[in-house]
Amino acid sequence: MSLLKINDLKCHYLTDIDTVKAVDGISFEIEDGEILGIVGESGSGKTTVALGIMGLLPENTAISGEILYRDELISSLPEAGMDRFRWKDITIVFQNGLEVMNPVMKVGVQVTEPMIKHLDISPEKVRSKCADLFRTVGLDPKWMDSYPHQLSGGMRQRVLLAMALSCDPKLLILDEVTSALDAFTRKEIRDLLVDLQKKNGYTMLMISHDITFVSSVASRITVMYSGKVVETGPVREILVSPRHPYTRGLVHSTPDIFVYKDLWGIPGDVPAGDEFKGCPFSPRCTQKIDICSKASPVLMPVGGRREIACHRGGIANLLEAKNLNFSYRLPDGEYIQAVDNVSLEVTEGEVLAIVGQTGSGKSTLAHILANVIRPESGEVLFMDGNVSRGNYGNRFNGIQIVFQDPFSSTSNRFTVLDAVKEPLYINKIGSNGDRLQMVKNALELVHLPSTDNFLRKYCGELSGGQRQRVALARAMVMQPKLLIADEITSALDVSTSANVLRLLKGLQNRRGFAMIYISHDLSLTLKIADRIAVMNSGKIVEMGNSHDVMLSPSDEYTKRLVDSRIGLCCHN
Amino acid sequence: MVKDRNSFIFRLLSTLFVILAINFFLPRMMPGDPFSTTSADEVGEDIIVMTEEQRLYYLNYYGLDRPLHEQFLVYMKNLMKGDLGRSIYYKMPVRDVIMLHLPWTMLVVFGATVISTVSGVVLGTLSAKNRKKGSDKIMMTGMIAFAEIPSFLLGLILLLIFSVYLRLFPLAGAVTPFADYNGPAEQAWDILYHAFLPVVTLSLSQLTGVYLLTRNTLITVTTKDYIRTARAKGLGEKTVWVRHALRNALLPVVTRTGFMIGIMMGGVVLVESVFSYPGLGMTLRSAVVGRDYPLIQGILLIIAVSILICNLLVDKIYGKLDPRVGI
Repeated sequence: MSLLKINDLKCHYLTDIDTVKAVDGISFEIEDGEILGIVGESGSGKTTVALGIMGLLPENTAISGEILYRDELISSLPEAGMDRFRWKDITIVFQNGLEVMNPVMKVGVQVTEPMIKHLDISPEKVRSKCADLFRTVGLDPKWMDSYPHQLSGGMRQRVLLAMALSCDPKLLILDEVTSALDAFTRKEIRDLLVDLQKKNGYTMLMISHDITFVSSVASRITVMYSGKVVETGPVREILVSPRHPYTRGLVHSTPDIFVYKDLWGIPGDVPAGDEFKGCPFSPRCTQKIDICSKASPVLMPVGGRREIACHRGGIANLLEAKNLNFSYRLPDGEYIQAVDNVSLEVTEGEVLAIVGQTGSGKSTLAHILANVIRPESGEVLFMDGNVSRGNYGNRFNGIQIVFQDPFSSTSNRFTVLDAVKEPLYINKIGSNGDRLQMVKNALELVHLPSTDNFLRKYCGELSGGQRQRVALARAMVMQPKLLIADEITSALDVSTSANVLRLLKGLQNRRGFAMIYISHDLSLTLKIADRIAVMNSGKIVEMGNSHDVMLSPSDEYTKRLVDSRIGLCCHN
Repeated sequence: MVKDRNSFIFRLLSTLFVILAINFFLPRMMPGDPFSTTSADEVGEDIIVMTEEQRLYYLNYYGLDRPLHEQFLVYMKNLMKGDLGRSIYYKMPVRDVIMLHLPWTMLVVFGATVISTVSGVVLGTLSAKNRKKGSDKIMMTGMIAFAEIPSFLLGLILLLIFSVYLRLFPLAGAVTPFADYNGPAEQAWDILYHAFLPVVTLSLSQLTGVYLLTRNTLITVTTKDYIRTARAKGLGEKTVWVRHALRNALLPVVTRTGFMIGIMMGGVVLVESVFSYPGLGMTLRSAVVGRDYPLIQGILLIIAVSILICNLLVDKIYGKLDPRVGI
């Protein structure tokens, strides 16, 4: 039997101006003794769920749906009826704040207050029980006689915890308990919670935007976005292979999970206005299709206790390569297997890095994927169609490639305008005026001037960094869904390459295209990649989450590659 | 701590000095002097018109012909000895005049403080609890409109209705003249009976302030996180309102009560005049009319000192009520 069951809960805040759908039809269950985590950005409705369960929502809230505690409907109880459950059965540990406790009342009194109300207990016993509680949460009982403003943030959070435990509840709701705490206190509170749960078997509902904290305690995670559940499942699976684009964005913007990667938040914002009927994430989603802006997806089971709400069934595959082979014929008649039975997938909006030493077949693979050369065997599917037949290089939203050497990939004799316009011209896209506008837009995207003066410049007059950006603009003018960047920074100096790389990653994050980033530079790769594939002698020897591959490589070659990074003089 | 205390005493003394100086010079800046007054306050009183010689004689007798700074020094010196001087009009020590009238004023002011604070808090709480309902809106509009009526006008209206037409309350005085009481209970009843209208008038003039402060503070307080916490603990509506909300909302009310006593000390002059109530206010009024410098000084001093004491008390009480204020 589930301890708490929520059916299609909707909490809409009615204001004079509009209606805020803080919680918009969510359902979940918590088993006895389970720890469920609810994560999501601020404003996703997490706290509203907590307050809804406690019956503490403000008066201007329209609430519908059911909240069942041990099969008893508590969502429609009046205030007095709700008091039977509050604190005795269900308690909440509020987010620590200066005013979360009564400022003119001693903290000890505030902890004992509910005991006197709910438990049949003598005043002397109450005090000693309060002292016990203080010790349980790691506080000296002498603090019982102090006022909230005399305690530090961490101490207050402990008092709040002691307060919540005072009546020995069944269900503990923890609302952002660590968000205001420093790392040490955060860890201590975490250990305390784990300990308490082990000893007393509390059922917990843990609400936080801190996905690291939640995942270290909870067994199951529910991801909320804009008042809806977008994904739910066991912690490990959610973290390792998030299925919803939002979950992936959330995991990817967590510094504890991707230690080396630069931080890039999820671009865009929650749709405003209550008229919006589509999937709330669609304005920020990189893989949206027509239906996404028309109807809201329902949470569907996808196997393995996981559920996801997405019209495309979660993060979709953008490109799929199966058993690719390619070999070069050497002058002596021998064949060298440059690409050896390679299979890989690139999902929507992700950055896959392919690393390996020179000659490992990376560039050949890139050329096959971009449909520049044909594989001897195997096939490449782009958006579920075959690349070679679909000619995805010739149209908008296809695949574009930027090559290693900007000096050979852009002609010296072309003006900037001609170089960037070329793909539009070849593919007969747009009128001349349209093309000029598109070129200007593309140049602005890559932070190059779009003045007539610059457009008339010859590529030969430009610096390496500028030329590589012109090459990038030429790719961007086709608005690709997948950009293949083949060693694009190796010909540039450190500073220029850093600029180009940040520009590229920024573009990728903002425009939401997927990218295959090919490089032999591990340090750079770690900064931008979500996944890494390691290539050696034409084979992919290891592929996985970028920090997993780098921090704990399993393949011998990867280990060598990781170790071969030259440290600075002082680093060994 | 010692340093704090010293600076506090210094501040207090310098405030007192400024007040004393104003008390001394202000009456003397008014036109006329105690012996050249031509208007009589009480109807039927004999107007003694003095000759210029007599006037100069009395000015000399009371030392009023000496230079101002000398007079001030003498005043200060006497004050140090606890001597407030002699009233020119009453021909008796100022201290005795004040002692005669102070109790009545204290009765009215403290009565009004208690009544306006208690009823203001109760009404404010009711209003806050019924927020956004009709009763709150009606009460608030009524109260604000009511606050616009000046207290002396209100006093006049009450006097007309209850004393003149309905004859429920006396027209003047603090006790029934020449009454023969059967025991202290009857005497107390007579005193309350006479004090009733002045107290009510003064209370009503302050009621709206307390009411609005309580209502608005409570509404702010009830949105605080600790009220949500108290609700979450399932303590019940009454405990949440009384122990958590009202307890916090009363803090500014306490501060206000301190100021209020000061305001009422001024307001009482008008109210006492309307009801011919023999308190300090009325005495002050006649002292001003008669340019009775020593009496004016004495009464103003008592009023100032009592305001200072009230503020001091409020500070102390506030420190006890709010642990965040370290006094």
